[in-house]
Amino acid sequence: MDILTSFPPMKALGPEAFDKQITAYLTKLDKLPTAAFSKAKDGKSPLDVLSPSSNSIPYIYCLLEATKSLGKDKAKWDELLSKVTLFYATFDSIQMRYVGQAWVDLWKWTAECLDHLGIIDLSVLSSAILRLDPSAATFTSLHLRFVRLCLGNNTPSQALPILDRDIYAFPHANAKNVLAELPSEELGLSNAYINEKSGLSEKLRPDLVMEYYLLGAQVYIGTRALSRGRLFLELVILHPAQNHATSALQVEAFQKWLLIGLLTDGKPFPYPRTMDQSTIKALRSMSKAYEALTESFERRDSAKYYAEMDAGQQIWAENGNYRLVAEAGQTLMQYRVSDLQKTYAALPVSRVAYHLGMASEDTLSTLDNMIRTSSLDATLTPRTTAAEAVLRFNMKASGRSQGSVDVEMQTKRIEELIAAVRDADKRLELTKEHIDITKRNKRTGTDAELADQMDLSWDTPSAPAGVMVISEDDAEEDIMA
Amino acid sequence: MASPLPSVGTPTFDLESHTSNYTPPLLPLRLLHIAAHCPPLSHQALTLALEVIKLGKDVSLYHRATDLASLLGHADLAVKDTDWLARREDANRRELTRLEGELKGYKNNLIRESIRMGQEDLGLHLSATGGQAAAVTKEDELEATATPSMQGLVVAYTTMSRVRDYCSTPSHIAGLTLRLQQIALQQAVTAQQTGLSASPHWQNVLATSNRLKSVGVKEEEQVLLTPLAAAGAGLAHLCTSDYISAAKSFLSVPFSLATQPAVQGVNFIASTASANDIAIYGALTSLATLSREELQTKVLDSPFRAFLELEPHVRKAISLYLNAKYSACMALLSRYYADWSLDLYLGAGLSQGHSHVDRLFARIREKSITAYFSSFSSVSLSSLASTFPPTGLAPSTSREGVEKVMETEILSLISSGALNARLDAVNGTVVAPSKDARVEAHAEAGKLAEEVERGLRLRLHRVNCLISNLEIVGAGAPGGKGGKEAWGLGY
Repeated sequence: MDILTSFPPMKALGPEAFDKQITAYLTKLDKLPTAAFSKAKDGKSPLDVLSPSSNSIPYIYCLLEATKSLGKDKAKWDELLSKVTLFYATFDSIQMRYVGQAWVDLWKWTAECLDHLGIIDLSVLSSAILRLDPSAATFTSLHLRFVRLCLGNNTPSQALPILDRDIYAFPHANAKNVLAELPSEELGLSNAYINEKSGLSEKLRPDLVMEYYLLGAQVYIGTRALSRGRLFLELVILHPAQNHATSALQVEAFQKWLLIGLLTDGKPFPYPRTMDQSTIKALRSMSKAYEALTESFERRDSAKYYAEMDAGQQIWAENGNYRLVAEAGQTLMQYRVSDLQKTYAALPVSRVAYHLGMASEDTLSTLDNMIRTSSLDATLTPRTTAAEAVLRFNMKASGRSQGSVDVEMQTKRIEELIAAVRDADKRLELTKEHIDITKRNKRTGTDAELADQMDLSWDTPSAPAGVMVISEDDAEEDIMA
Repeated sequence: MASPLPSVGTPTFDLESHTSNYTPPLLPLRLLHIAAHCPPLSHQALTLALEVIKLGKDVSLYHRATDLASLLGHADLAVKDTDWLARREDANRRELTRLEGELKGYKNNLIRESIRMGQEDLGLHLSATGGQAAAVTKEDELEATATPSMQGLVVAYTTMSRVRDYCSTPSHIAGLTLRLQQIALQQAVTAQQTGLSASPHWQNVLATSNRLKSVGVKEEEQVLLTPLAAAGAGLAHLCTSDYISAAKSFLSVPFSLATQPAVQGVNFIASTASANDIAIYGALTSLATLSREELQTKVLDSPFRAFLELEPHVRKAISLYLNAKYSACMALLSRYYADWSLDLYLGAGLSQGHSHVDRLFARIREKSITAYFSSFSSVSLSSLASTFPPTGLAPSTSREGVEKVMETEILSLISSGALNARLDAVNGTVVAPSKDARVEAHAEAGKLAEEVERGLRLRLHRVNCLISNLEIVGAGAPGGKGGKEAWGLGY
């Protein structure tokens, strides 16, 4: 017990000293028998003696021990859960950085426990992640598990606290010969301590990352944040690949991406500029039914759209897109009316009805609905008959008076992004392949540098294709520096 | 008698004096065009045509003329003079054999210059006769669908191209190119009139005309060639409906065209297009395509003005347009509609329903409406209809009918993007869309920021995946999708 409480010391330590002490402490803990973590002393369990906020490391070990010895008794589960909840609210995040494996194990147990007890509120899991890393900007396997859980519980909105935080990095091995930041340091981006060695995330694979974004997109589509949903889908579609490999997840994302384009803009989004042509071809060939839909939509052909919709019912059901397709069908009507804005300033409802191919009374009520739900910016003046009623479009664009606020926030976000991009570029430079190329360049002398820059395409086969793809100007400029 | 072909009214010019400006081989084609589309002048034109044709050597053209006569109901002119036909065919054949024999002789003697002249003479003969005699022997080389005269002219063109091998001076080449241009013109016009595709021939006209610009002759000769090059290019552009390039070409024709002598035996202004014609083509295409400032600087204040003096009415039309007197301008132009429709180049396509005149007029109208509207924020349909009376309506149409037609026209202009306005169908007015620059600028900035943000995020993601070795790898590669570990159900 004394060993357990031997850390942390009373006085505050600087980062290096802290790191040394904690490493020594961990070694000592490893040597202790497992019973030490569960044995009661003086009738009290270690969990009661230790403080979760200052003795976070031993506390978590004790918690894990405790989880192993639970029976079927729900009350006991409940009790332990409340201790865990308290722990998650108070732990010392810096200490946690050193015990990645334990962290992951406890989290997984907590998820299981909540499920076992039938608790819907998963916020303890998300707040745990956020306490460890407030930015949640380094992707971990827990991110994905959490989103899966929320969707499984039919409470997608609970995933938002995690989803809303942009991912700025993935855990990876630190570059050799580079002075790594100590986990004990307070500042810095979270990817410094969430790396391969730390164990704070299980091993990642590309399909897991894509799954995260795909599920996240579904959450955003469900909560009607279509713009962010689009971003997530594009992240899946643009996931870099070797040798033009394409994943089935990308096909799914592509199909949803097409549909959201229809809902947002009335036509499919333009393809991202950096997209690989062969990937696009592969995705399109797998999504012919969806492309047929978008074509009918773009031509504003309601009849054809609904015909296609009915014909492809099984496809939409299989992909879980039925609701989206149906919604797009309704939006089509709205777009047909909005199209009229491009040529008319005002027109009688009879003309609108003719254009839509509906009866005047139906048109009138549809228009009324649209105006009331703010999907149409116009005024409707009733007359004696429905046909004579006048639809007048508001010509002046409704001012974006909150424009200035938006711009400020946007600027801030962009600045953050730029910082993250710079960091990523720096890390890229430290990767082995990059160093190899730089070394080779330096060896062949400065004259050949330019030629070598251009000839990155026929470099030695040892360097993987991944680096060839990057022709970022920043990376090359730094070589010259 | 009613003409089975689309027809126009009587032109302002006098047929005889008009056609005395031109020479074969295009002269009979001109007359045939007039005969086909102008019933009042039809008989007279055909008579003149047959006279001219009989003076020439082209038998297939004779057949075409007489067939046209019977189509139009001029029985007297439709009678074929079989006597003349037999004599002419015979003479053509004999001449052809003679020329070919002579040419063979020259080739044996290997005197380059004589071979060249012999080959040239052969080519000229073929083009004059429509190449009929030679067509018989060369049938296997040619398309089955072309008419005899087309086949013949292709032979003529190929034969003439062979002269190239025997040219020794740039002057020879210039002459050759010029003749090729003339044959190509003949081919193009014939194709237009017989309903075949003329675009390959117009391409040839364009190519030869461009070649004339840089053929390498001395200064004094080049000065004579450049107008022909520009005019030829202009015609090619005009007849392929590329009015913008046509305007540019025509405006660059030096006025010396009107007064220069024949070049290497070719008198362009008589054989192809007179200076007056150039004036009209240039004026119409400019009016249809150039902006106001350009019209002022490039047409009225430029050397092209000399051409315009030859045809004062088009000059007047342009200045009316520049002074925003659109209805007067359009009225003036429509007075010469018949004249221009009967022109060989402008009137091409009349049988199909849209001649170049029609298209040019439509464009000029469109431009005028847009220009007229640009100074107002709101215009009523009725005033639009009175300033720009819709064409092609019966005079008895009611006011509502006229407005309806006007409305349809305005709607098509708006949807095609030519007119930036909105129709207020309830009040019967056309309104200019109001633009709040400030709001628009904000919206633009917001959108741009969004896209920058999105782009940065995508790039960041990409770089990160690459660093962490998280790229997608194809199935079967190590570390690929095989062996996907189960993470447990649900989570």
